[in-house]
Amino acid sequence: MTAERCFHCNEPIPGGFNFTLSFDNQQRQFCCAGCQAIADTIISSGLSDYYRFRTEPASRYALPKELADTLAEYDAPDVLADVSVQQGDLTEISLSVTGISCAACAWLIEKQLRQLNTVHQVTVNSATQRCHLIWQADKTPLSVILSKLAAIGYQASPFVADNEEQAFKTELNRFLKRLAVSGIMTMQVMMLAVALYFGDYTGIEASHQGYLRWISLVLTLPVVLYAALPFVQSAWRGIKARQLNMDVPVSLAVYYTFFASAYATVFRTGEVYFESVCMFTFLLQLGKFFEYRARSRARDATSNLLKIMPVAATLLQDNQPQAVSAKRLRAGDVILVKPGETIAADGIIISGNSSADESMLTGEYAAVEKQCGDKVLAGSTNHDGLLQVKVSQPLAASHLGQIIALQQRTLSQKPAVLQKTDQLARYFVERLLVIAVATFALWYFWLDADRAFWITLSVLVATCPCALSLAAPTAVTCALASLNRRGILIKHSTVLDVLPQLTHLVFDKTGTLTEGRFSVAEVKINGSEYSRSDVLNLIANIEQFSEHPIARAFKPYLTVPLPLTETEISVGAGIQTNYNNMLVKIGSSAFCKLSTSSDAMVFLTINEVCIAEIWLQDAVRPEVPSLIARLRTAGYKLVMLTGDNSAQAQQLQQQLQFDLMHKGCTPEQKVMEIEHLVRDGHKVLMLGDGINDNPAFHAAHVSVTLETGSDLSKNQADVLLLQPSIGLLEHLLAESSHAQNVIKQNLYWSAGYNLLIIPLAVAGFVSPYIAVLGMSFSSLLVVSNSLRLLKK
Amino acid sequence: MSVIYVLIPIAILFVIIGLAVFFWAVRSKQFEDLDKEGFSILFDDNKPQSRSASSDDEQQPPKQ
Repeated sequence: MTAERCFHCNEPIPGGFNFTLSFDNQQRQFCCAGCQAIADTIISSGLSDYYRFRTEPASRYALPKELADTLAEYDAPDVLADVSVQQGDLTEISLSVTGISCAACAWLIEKQLRQLNTVHQVTVNSATQRCHLIWQADKTPLSVILSKLAAIGYQASPFVADNEEQAFKTELNRFLKRLAVSGIMTMQVMMLAVALYFGDYTGIEASHQGYLRWISLVLTLPVVLYAALPFVQSAWRGIKARQLNMDVPVSLAVYYTFFASAYATVFRTGEVYFESVCMFTFLLQLGKFFEYRARSRARDATSNLLKIMPVAATLLQDNQPQAVSAKRLRAGDVILVKPGETIAADGIIISGNSSADESMLTGEYAAVEKQCGDKVLAGSTNHDGLLQVKVSQPLAASHLGQIIALQQRTLSQKPAVLQKTDQLARYFVERLLVIAVATFALWYFWLDADRAFWITLSVLVATCPCALSLAAPTAVTCALASLNRRGILIKHSTVLDVLPQLTHLVFDKTGTLTEGRFSVAEVKINGSEYSRSDVLNLIANIEQFSEHPIARAFKPYLTVPLPLTETEISVGAGIQTNYNNMLVKIGSSAFCKLSTSSDAMVFLTINEVCIAEIWLQDAVRPEVPSLIARLRTAGYKLVMLTGDNSAQAQQLQQQLQFDLMHKGCTPEQKVMEIEHLVRDGHKVLMLGDGINDNPAFHAAHVSVTLETGSDLSKNQADVLLLQPSIGLLEHLLAESSHAQNVIKQNLYWSAGYNLLIIPLAVAGFVSPYIAVLGMSFSSLLVVSNSLRLLKK
Repeated sequence: MSVIYVLIPIAILFVIIGLAVFFWAVRSKQFEDLDKEGFSILFDDNKPQSRSASSDDEQQPPKQ
């Protein structure tokens, strides 16, 4: 066998591991005990078809160890009531499932859950990675279901779809139905049109011609009365608001052509254009449908990321821990916060000490030491100590709640983006109407009253804004799809309109420009007994025991496992252990009992002798300096707004030379700074990752966040970069200006075509056949030009 | 050619039936996940017990 890969997840198998399982009479290798256990469960439950038919490997086993504890929190009745809907004695819930990689996963999950006889209905959607479940919650607790999923390698969490998403879904279904009606009818009417065309050349009995026209009329009725309705509604809304939009000429063309053809059918005169009506409606619907679907996909993907915020808390009642919903905590309650948990409410520590990560709320990257009597904030993460917290205010009034309220308020103040095509449409429609009326008057009163109606029709058909109205949507859809493939999700298509006009780029610091976590900056070794790699390997071995963020900085330096005994953690100070009968300590200078003036953050002593001093820092992302330089050459003004007040902000400013820098910003100040820029007429992009950036997201024209950002940011931002790197920003800017160019070309072409054909049509030289051909040709050209965006 | 007076209405009838089926399919959510349904035919042939397990959900389109 060549390079060994895990049978379950297809990751390479690290050397020295030997996990095997027999399947289909063959020994299969696994990369870890987790993958092996999952495969064992799948095969022994008779679900091995999964391995035979899947098209993608599964995701690697990555479930937290304390899963069972956290799952149990969902069983508390009031927590469950928050995330599910009761239907008689059945409970209905939506789960967002991580790890679904192909359709076979959906099947696997459905089968696994159907084995429980309390499960009434289960449907998995592999496209949106959701699971919809109806079951008897009183007989099987939710935690049992979730751990059943965990056993086959999927991590599921309750999820509440918001109203907006529901609306998206119904709208998408409506689109599908309209597409079907206009598509199928177009085929029928086209077929009849071919017969009519042939009849015109070879001769056709008048009764047959009349019959075919009547049938076409009947078949077109559902298209104009049902499929084309959205255009009329939108046009009507536009007219009511005294703003002509693109849908006005579209509905005008559709209905004028339809009524003219109906008139021709009833009075047996002139020409019929039913097939143009149908095809036009179908093509426009198709364009809109794809654009809508691309956006709703992006939305689904990001709202999956929004896990419900601190769901459960452990309430201490008469010294008995009890799981409750965080929303129902009241001031004065005492909650227990375990290491690694999210703190559920603002409060004061009444026992225990620890450190907390508040970077998502304040932008400060260093962990904050928390002693008895200190304040803690809802939404921050508790690191290494067990805490008892007395709740000082309910969740809605907490610091986190206030940021969310501020964000809701700024949402309505989002700077308006005028859509270019709408502007153009207004200009175009006004003139088109004037020309049509003038043509009619000209022919009716002065030239030839009999031909007036038909010439006006050919003006309208020839100038039918099909190409013009397809120009933007097709280009936007192709650009969205191409960006999507690169790992850039865009939720509002208007974003593409603004991006090329940007003047200011605003960056958050912690977690955006920097990694948002510690890494080793400098190591100073005392003496020559140990080398740098020996020291780092030893520390990495010891830090494996700790959950502290400092410990994670040493993880990449672990090379050789060492035997350690009697390891002991002192919360907030350091770790000591026994290695080869030597007493090893790592931690602060006080913990290592050193009297030193060094400002290093971590010290290592062996038998009370200081061996190494280590400086840690929140490192700048490797791609940032060159990216910033390139953006500056491209002519953008660069701004940094950070909540961090430390010297690191100043240091970064010196290194990267921003045009404007503010440190120690509260979320309100960030909003004010950006609003200031917007008021001065600049177009602003905000790039951030924390909850404290969210209000500013809505103040800016475009907001971008990273995969590593907080769940809430990912849900709120207009654009999500699906890589832990901001290098994609450049690609986003390039692609959007490319898309803008294609839109411009499309608009120039279709406007140019119209300018050419209008005088000819007004003069009565354009026969209706030529008008239809010209219209179809220009639409095709526009669509194929847009498709160029998909390549590369 | 007078046969078209009969044949075209019949064709229209078929179109209406086709549309009705499509509308039903959209309403019963068969278009929400296009990948999964294609796969469902591969699975299950050898396991009759799962058939009965899923036959009790009435609103669901047939999956097996």
